[in-house]
Amino acid sequence: MTRTMELDAVIIGSGAGGGTVAERLAPLAEAGARIAVLEEGHHFPLAYFTQREVEMMGLFRYGGGWPIKDGSITLAAGRGLGGSTLVYTGVTFRLPDAVCEKWGVPGLTPKDLAPRFERLEKDLSVIVPGDDMVNDNNRLFAEACETLGWEVKKIPLNLSGCEQEGFCNLGCATGAKQGAMAVQLPRAQKAGVVLVPNCRVEKIGRGKVSAKVSEPPPGTVPGPWEPGEVEISAKRIVCAAGSPATPGLLLAAGLEKELPALGRYFTLHPAMTLYGVMPHPIKNYQGFPKTYYTPRFSQTHHFYLETAFYYPFVSTKHLGLWGEDLARIMTRYANFMTVIALNHDPASEKNRIRLSRKGEVIMDYTIAKESVESLAHAQVAATRLFIAAGCREMVMPMAKKPVFTPADAGDKSLEEFISPKRFLPIKTPLSSAHPQGGCRMGAGPEDSVTDPWGKVHGREDLYVADASLFPQSSAVNPYLTVMALADRVGQKLVESADSWG
Amino acid sequence: MDISAPNRELRYLTGRKLAVFLAAADRIIPAFDSLPSGGTMTTAQVVDWALERMEPGLRKRFLALLTVMEIMGVAFGARPFSKNSAKARDRQLAWMESGPSLMRMGFFGLKNYACLGYYTREAVWKAIGYAGPARPDRQYPDTVIRALCRAEAEVAP
Repeated sequence: MTRTMELDAVIIGSGAGGGTVAERLAPLAEAGARIAVLEEGHHFPLAYFTQREVEMMGLFRYGGGWPIKDGSITLAAGRGLGGSTLVYTGVTFRLPDAVCEKWGVPGLTPKDLAPRFERLEKDLSVIVPGDDMVNDNNRLFAEACETLGWEVKKIPLNLSGCEQEGFCNLGCATGAKQGAMAVQLPRAQKAGVVLVPNCRVEKIGRGKVSAKVSEPPPGTVPGPWEPGEVEISAKRIVCAAGSPATPGLLLAAGLEKELPALGRYFTLHPAMTLYGVMPHPIKNYQGFPKTYYTPRFSQTHHFYLETAFYYPFVSTKHLGLWGEDLARIMTRYANFMTVIALNHDPASEKNRIRLSRKGEVIMDYTIAKESVESLAHAQVAATRLFIAAGCREMVMPMAKKPVFTPADAGDKSLEEFISPKRFLPIKTPLSSAHPQGGCRMGAGPEDSVTDPWGKVHGREDLYVADASLFPQSSAVNPYLTVMALADRVGQKLVESADSWG
Repeated sequence: MDISAPNRELRYLTGRKLAVFLAAADRIIPAFDSLPSGGTMTTAQVVDWALERMEPGLRKRFLALLTVMEIMGVAFGARPFSKNSAKARDRQLAWMESGPSLMRMGFFGLKNYACLGYYTREAVWKAIGYAGPARPDRQYPDTVIRALCRAEAEVAP
């Protein structure tokens, strides 16, 4: 039997966006407003995080390998209370002013965002990691950048009492990572906002949300609602399920005709994780995985190079090898030096979220030629960096010989040895953890989905508060920008609360 | 190193499908130094556990791929894939890796599952120099997968 309930506001999704809106609405909840956060994933207690890849696959949609339509890129998207903040490393970058200006959203200015960033960074305990948090992989990265004359910077991180166990991407076992589950959601809950895990939203309509609550799996925390179908009437609906789920919900609501930009301008921040092999073990699995990056290539070649660490199985995905190459190189796992290249991919109208006949979300995305060129250059840069650090071998999927020594590439320029011509979709390993766009903000419904405050054009009851709002790639790791935009959505909702009806 | 098969009944990798998977995993991760190849029942056990949790549509396609691979084996070594020589299986896998996009997708999935079944096991971690979790004794509600990865479960007859 379907239950019905009436609420003042429903927030769909509990990650960086949903968590921030929930916290922003806390004063309304304290004043008696009925507000719920619906999360499809489970409520994982800290004790659930066992730091083992195969056991933690349930923290991600599709086990961490959500494929786009042509299979050439797989997404790692968090699925649980806290959303992707459950499984991110906590890299805290402000949206660059130049990117904000390029977005050209009326009223969305660096001046508007700066105080929000400042407040969020304080709330999230953002620090610049000290030298005691720099493991060998990061130290070698910084030293090699300096040798090459590349600008190298520390990565700001949102941590409190980090024990540097190094398993951030499998859920923080100690609660040190200051994501939505540690900061915003507890504050919202304390104010009376109800957090509902295991609750999949099937459909949204005008002031209506249809959802289904499922049984909590063993080891997870049960939610407050009994399993079964629920029909909710709500005065305000905030979609914060992330991209591509939020555009999918709006498409399923039949809004594409009124909003032709819906689902479009989808970007992925396509990434390649690249490996060098040091002559001795550096044990990158020990210590904090990410403390340095270089912005050296952002303006010229449209990618950031950051330090990285991945567990053995995920590493095999990134290496793009099999057979003896794979078996041999993996025996050097403890010697791996690891970096990740994140491409600022262009926003194209053709790259879009759509629905299958069964209503499933499809990410119809074709990587741009300039992104492939950018990632080829990233491999050239990473090779130079690894050689400068002292690596004896490199693994570069677009190289003439995917596993090679400095001598192998020595008789010709690296740009010839590593070429975008060798890119073959699916064979060349690409991943993404930063899907963006599909509900872009803007001035009007002809080329955007929401207004600059996240309100869907033509609707008073419907808002968006996640990375699907981005009109173009954020260039940097996006969670802080998502929170700042969600803060604006929350502000607008609070300011307009008297007119909710 | 212990590569014995823990005693969990396989639900998806059965019959010919199991033979194809093992024959493929044996070439995707061949034996190297002291490490055995990926084509063992222990790998298959972990993969079968993961298949049970896979989205049903993807699982169906994965299992169908194994059937298609078996039939296509004749084009690369005159026999079904699982009965072909290592060289013939390598030729077929290399063709899949760089062939039509559906085959590339299939190869990608197959390789990932073979690696999941292999590189998540504690004995393999030890051999490749990975220390594993900082909290190794933290309990997981599903004790089967922990036992499979630790190769602690009973040896199958």
